[in-house]
Amino acid sequence: MSTERPSAEIDDRPLSRGDSASRRWVDELHPDHPRYEQAVAKLHGVLRRAALHELHRRHAQLPELAGQEFDDVAHQCADDALVNVLAKIDDFKGLSRFTTWAYKFAIFEVSSTLGRHAWQRHPPSREDLELSELPDSLAPRPSEQAERREQLDVLRKAIEDDLTPRQQQVFIAIALNDMPIDVLALKLDSNRNAIYKNLFDARRKLRDSLAAAGYPLTDDEARP
Amino acid sequence: MIDLDQLDELLRVQEGDAGCDAGVPIMDQYVEIELRGEDPSERFPGTAIHLRVCQGCRADHDGLLEAARRFGDIGPE
Repeated sequence: MSTERPSAEIDDRPLSRGDSASRRWVDELHPDHPRYEQAVAKLHGVLRRAALHELHRRHAQLPELAGQEFDDVAHQCADDALVNVLAKIDDFKGLSRFTTWAYKFAIFEVSSTLGRHAWQRHPPSREDLELSELPDSLAPRPSEQAERREQLDVLRKAIEDDLTPRQQQVFIAIALNDMPIDVLALKLDSNRNAIYKNLFDARRKLRDSLAAAGYPLTDDEARP
Repeated sequence: MIDLDQLDELLRVQEGDAGCDAGVPIMDQYVEIELRGEDPSERFPGTAIHLRVCQGCRADHDGLLEAARRFGDIGPE
């Protein structure tokens, strides 16, 4: 990721030219179409089914979400996705099947909704964002070789000295404490993309710090 | 205790990573390329890199791929 924000990887070549189902969806979802009401109801149904499936798929992320509340969340995600689809129907260019394009709104709704619920039920503590001790998985043990201990000491010092306060918070919360990126984005009143950029920059700085201290890690450009 | 490979993974970065926002408008195209058995990294290399690293976007991608695979061929009637 370069310092300059990469633009979206737009590709306007149609993938689904001649997709009659997609054309029918678009036609019937315009308010002047005689089947508009039926098409909207059908779309809400398929979006709800996709949202339910996605909530089940991510159930481990928020296991206490169950029963009527689970169904209500799926229904709300479908409602919100439907509003977005109808508002952007003229933006659909046939670059994918219409249903895949529409499901994208449902999946993103589920993703952000689960982030909000997780944030409300398990708000991050201040300790989640501060480096008081290295996590057990990183802390050097007495039996470790001296070089290994030195490497981890360099890492800890680099976290404290080389990162900005925001980069410290993001790296500690996500990389060391496994906090979901969307939960941290809510905590810091930010968004996923900005948090990811902070994390990317923090990782690169720490790699550079380790390399400068004589402990280089793998060259990422050489990765398969 | 993590080993060097795990530390390498913890600090993993790859140049060319398109970031989270770049994938939003093209994610439907991306998964349909996959559903055809083709390689989306040829058309969307930056997003392909990003999806290997960002768990949040990877989860969204996986959900959309599964929804499109399971419920894709539905018309309005």
